[in-house]
Amino acid sequence: MRAGRDVTIVLRSIDRVIGWLVASAKWLALPLITLLFLQWPLRDLVRAWSREANDLGQIAFALFVALSVTAATRAHTHLAADLVSQRYSARTRTWLARAGAALGLLPWAGFVLIASRPSVIASLRIHEAFQDSGNPGYFLIKIALWIMASAVIGQALVDIFRSDAR
Amino acid sequence: MEWLGLALLALVGAGIILTGLPAAVVLVAVATLGAILGIASGTIEPATLGALSTRLINLFENDLLQALPLYVTMGLLLDRLPVADALYRTSNAILPRKPAAPLVSGMLLGALLGPMNGSVGASVLGLSRVVAPRLAAEGIPAANRQALVAVASTLGVLVPPSLVLILLSDAMLSAHTIAVTTTGRSDRVINTQDIFHAALLPGGLFLVLCLGLSWIAGRNAAHLPAREKLRAGEALLAAVALALLILLLGGVTFGYFYAVEAAAMGAFTMLLTGLGTGRLRLEALNKLLGDAIALTGALFALLLAATTFTMVLRLLGTADLVGRIVSSIPGGDITAVAIVLALIGISAFVLDAFEIIFVIVPIVIPPLLIRVADARWVAVLVLLTLQASFLLPPFGYALMMVRGVLKEPVAFRAMLRALAPFLAAQWLLLLVVLAFPQLTHTGQSPADSTRLPATPMSDAEFNKRLQEMIQIPELPDLEDQNRK
Repeated sequence: MRAGRDVTIVLRSIDRVIGWLVASAKWLALPLITLLFLQWPLRDLVRAWSREANDLGQIAFALFVALSVTAATRAHTHLAADLVSQRYSARTRTWLARAGAALGLLPWAGFVLIASRPSVIASLRIHEAFQDSGNPGYFLIKIALWIMASAVIGQALVDIFRSDAR
Repeated sequence: MEWLGLALLALVGAGIILTGLPAAVVLVAVATLGAILGIASGTIEPATLGALSTRLINLFENDLLQALPLYVTMGLLLDRLPVADALYRTSNAILPRKPAAPLVSGMLLGALLGPMNGSVGASVLGLSRVVAPRLAAEGIPAANRQALVAVASTLGVLVPPSLVLILLSDAMLSAHTIAVTTTGRSDRVINTQDIFHAALLPGGLFLVLCLGLSWIAGRNAAHLPAREKLRAGEALLAAVALALLILLLGGVTFGYFYAVEAAAMGAFTMLLTGLGTGRLRLEALNKLLGDAIALTGALFALLLAATTFTMVLRLLGTADLVGRIVSSIPGGDITAVAIVLALIGISAFVLDAFEIIFVIVPIVIPPLLIRVADARWVAVLVLLTLQASFLLPPFGYALMMVRGVLKEPVAFRAMLRALAPFLAAQWLLLLVVLAFPQLTHTGQSPADSTRLPATPMSDAEFNKRLQEMIQIPELPDLEDQNRK
């Protein structure tokens, strides 16, 4: 009984943390738009800082899209065809969604996390820079992959045990 | 095990239709199953799957994909700001006061919005909100209204720099790189701008056909449209929006800036306009950005999942099998292209355009380009097929979305009758471009034409190069990465 309550508390906490991360990440769209807009005048008019704007824009993009996958899951905006499934009962659809999370998303994101470990750790250890410009911060793009995979795993766990989590 | 890949492809189609789960979830679930079967049968070396993380990181740092959130945000901003409304009313005020004017203005608005908001879904939302109620007020039947909104929403697919065009350009660039390296041809690999140029004339022709058909369809409207009373502010807004559009389109077409920069300029300008005019206060901005990240995630998740799935297919040898099948198609280039396009068309019954670009194009287009040298021609034909897929009755994405948004019950037969002239024009254009590849080469430099290798390649050498090209890249050496 107590173990069940603990699991529920953990899942609710995961849900809240992911919700907060997604809500924060959406604001990255503003610096992303601004930085990519600035690239052209900086390159052709100012003739300086264009690479810096590009690199910062890449970091903002990587972090934004890393959390966008889970944002889409939470907002139910993923591309899907419900012509047949809309005839299924709500219970069947819930079980299908749980099966999709358990058999698709969870193993995939877990594999991504494990397979990318050497590359991400090595990048983090040396604070890998951008190859072309030498600007610091490239390691954040690799970390974005981990953020994406971790958020997908967390959301999949919440969705599999949804009735307990919310 | 190479045939297993084709079975997995069929399983993806069945899974998407029967489970109703997101396509991205079905793709990763089937890819996982394929990887397990591949490892169990000894076809896939478990270590090679490690290359997946490198492939996914490449997506996170892809310059072209930065256009995704920009276009999505632009589409949402267009829906919040009165730009579409001002453009439509200005067009109506300028056109002669005839019964067909509202339909022609609606079609023109679709052509203007398409490149600005990039996605068919965003165009459907915008046109359903701005044009459909006005057409209803003018007495245009529901079937004609829905057909117009659906067709106009797909115009952006062909008019650069749309999102579909940008994503297809990225897929074509990879496919052409494989083809050029495999065959030893000394072609310049096509880029986004080449495909923009190639699509301009066919896109323009389709727009002219659509405007003509709208004019004919509108002649039977119940009555003359009400005289448009345009405010000076609206006319100014329409003029500024039109000027910005021409600037962006012209800038990208003539290479002054990249498509991503053009999208950023559009999004930035509209964001400033929204904030400056007070139409985008904190609460509205919060909601808009929430929608932007969720819609971007839907496309990016599909891309991540398709990258995983196509990697498993390559490891199973399915890409090699498809290459052999395409190279063994009897007949000339046109037959081979027509069969591959038919395959893409059949896929459209199950997959939407983005799924086709991410899953089908990377599998079937590289072997096609190995056989058919004209990458610009193939790219435009794929674009036309994708556009047709949006309007394919009864499940075309644009049709389904229009029905969902407008919520007006229209008999399938009436809808088909209203849509038929546009579908006929679309298929006619597809056949014309298929028969006359030169339509995709206007303004092309002779230096860009295909040149065969000086020494003809032996079959053994050809197969060796093909094998090398379709192999999964090894995990990059960490020492190399450390040098970054």
